[in-house]
Amino acid sequence: MTNKYYEFFCPVKVIAGKAALEHIPYELSGLAAKRPMIITDKGVRAAGLLNPVIAACEESGLEIVSIFDDVPPDSSTTVVRDIARVYRKEKCDSIIAIGGGSAIDTGKAVNILVSEGGDDIAKYSGAGVLKHPLKPFFVVPTTAGTGSEVTSVAVISDEKKGVKLPFTSSFLLPNAAIIDPRMTLTLPPHITAATAMDAMTHAVESFTCMAKNPLSDAYATAAVKKVSRSLLGVMDNPKDEDGRLELAQASTMAGIAFSNSMVGLVHSLGHATGAICHLPHGLCMSLYLPYVLEFNLESIREPLGELLLYLEGPEVYSATPAARRAEASISAIRKLRDALYKRCELPRTLKETGKVLESQLEAIAKMALDDGSIMFNPKEVSLEDALSVLRRAWA
Amino acid sequence: MLVKRLQPMISHARRNYVELMFQVMGRALQAISEVDETTRKETRALPDGFLFEMQVMPNGPKLIVEHTGDGLLHYHSNGAPRAVDLSIQFKHITHAFLVLSFQEKTSVAFANDRMLVDGDVSLAVRMTRVLNRLESFILPKLVAQRAVKEYPADLHLPEKLMSAARIYLKVATHFVETVRA
Repeated sequence: MTNKYYEFFCPVKVIAGKAALEHIPYELSGLAAKRPMIITDKGVRAAGLLNPVIAACEESGLEIVSIFDDVPPDSSTTVVRDIARVYRKEKCDSIIAIGGGSAIDTGKAVNILVSEGGDDIAKYSGAGVLKHPLKPFFVVPTTAGTGSEVTSVAVISDEKKGVKLPFTSSFLLPNAAIIDPRMTLTLPPHITAATAMDAMTHAVESFTCMAKNPLSDAYATAAVKKVSRSLLGVMDNPKDEDGRLELAQASTMAGIAFSNSMVGLVHSLGHATGAICHLPHGLCMSLYLPYVLEFNLESIREPLGELLLYLEGPEVYSATPAARRAEASISAIRKLRDALYKRCELPRTLKETGKVLESQLEAIAKMALDDGSIMFNPKEVSLEDALSVLRRAWA
Repeated sequence: MLVKRLQPMISHARRNYVELMFQVMGRALQAISEVDETTRKETRALPDGFLFEMQVMPNGPKLIVEHTGDGLLHYHSNGAPRAVDLSIQFKHITHAFLVLSFQEKTSVAFANDRMLVDGDVSLAVRMTRVLNRLESFILPKLVAQRAVKEYPADLHLPEKLMSAARIYLKVATHFVETVRA
């Protein structure tokens, strides 16, 4: 018998497809919630994305008691405390987070405070601190990439101490994730591309890193297939609702995959680059993915070769000799990046971003070595290794 | 039937083995920080007075080391003097045994959810690198290859033997001093 062992957990009800938003009132009533609060950001409100949610609730006689629309891109402990105060003052009983990663993480953190009590979110930081289920919590993602709607993690900045506080608990998972294509129809091309490549990276790393397991593999391969088949179509026709839904589902599936199998060096480098050079996360993922796969190649040849089926389809897969499939998978990812560069100039190298200096590479490499995700990279990474990947990604 | 009778003995032996390995590793961590500059480069990033613990949940065997400054680690044989800053916890004695008997690599144990990190994850990554370096030094190459993700290519036999001898000597001295005290 081998030592193989894995864990897989995802209790989030996924409500996806046409008119999915209209299920929110019913789902809330199923949890005895009558006074929901919406947590979102100004961009989402300005894009008119709250309107279908509010209309769906009003038509069912459900009043949205409060709307907080001022979540910043990097949410903080102060913002969380302020929202929790509004929640209590308005006697809300549930939360609907609408937005990208920041709004969703803020929703998770507010749910901790309003469920557990107190004003200091920092004291709930860490893993396994929460011991009880929280208030009803729904998530409506407006980007198709982060997968935050199905992850049990939230990160909030403590601006006084200048640190990022991580919160990890299965109780942070929402009761339901509502995936409605209307919510991503207006995403601009470069964000559509970067977030889809974020989902692609979640899926590829989930499938090739150390904690992969049969269940996360199933979600990861399905996500790779959906992104590969739909992304360029959506880039050419942004109003393609079916394609948008495919990308949104891919993001959720990739989120389920990586939250149960973790990610590797692409994320370590991406987190460090984001912290030092303030590049968007999805862009970093797209940028580093092929270079890291090349670095890991000999450790991941078999699973990476398998991915060719989902990246390029059965004809290409069967026509490619088994020994060349891993390289062909990397080529397919490069081809996709080239196509995205042609459509929206999504950078393929650090130099193309125009925001990274060559002199910053060493600092990025050093920081990446201490990132938690590096533990799950299939190959050991030294400082020199990280630097060589960065140099290859430079230009 | 025989297995049933032997089970308590096996459990007891496993616990004793894990306890002994923690004692050896704790002392060896102190020793490697004294003999290896690469290790000190890693541990210098820890705050002074930083307490690191490896423990079997809930109240099983544990090892505790403290960063006393300039990259030097000190093994606390009588428990932590105060609340620890970082704890890596095995969920069960069986999981600790798998890792400490080199049947499962530390990185695989993390991937398999055998262990939890309570504290700063980036420092846990750093301490894992130190543990890997220690295992690469003190274990025969064939065994070390089972314990670490990748055996360091630049670790050659003369350096390994010299360092291992110095680490083992320091561990033995520390054991003797503990018994005398």
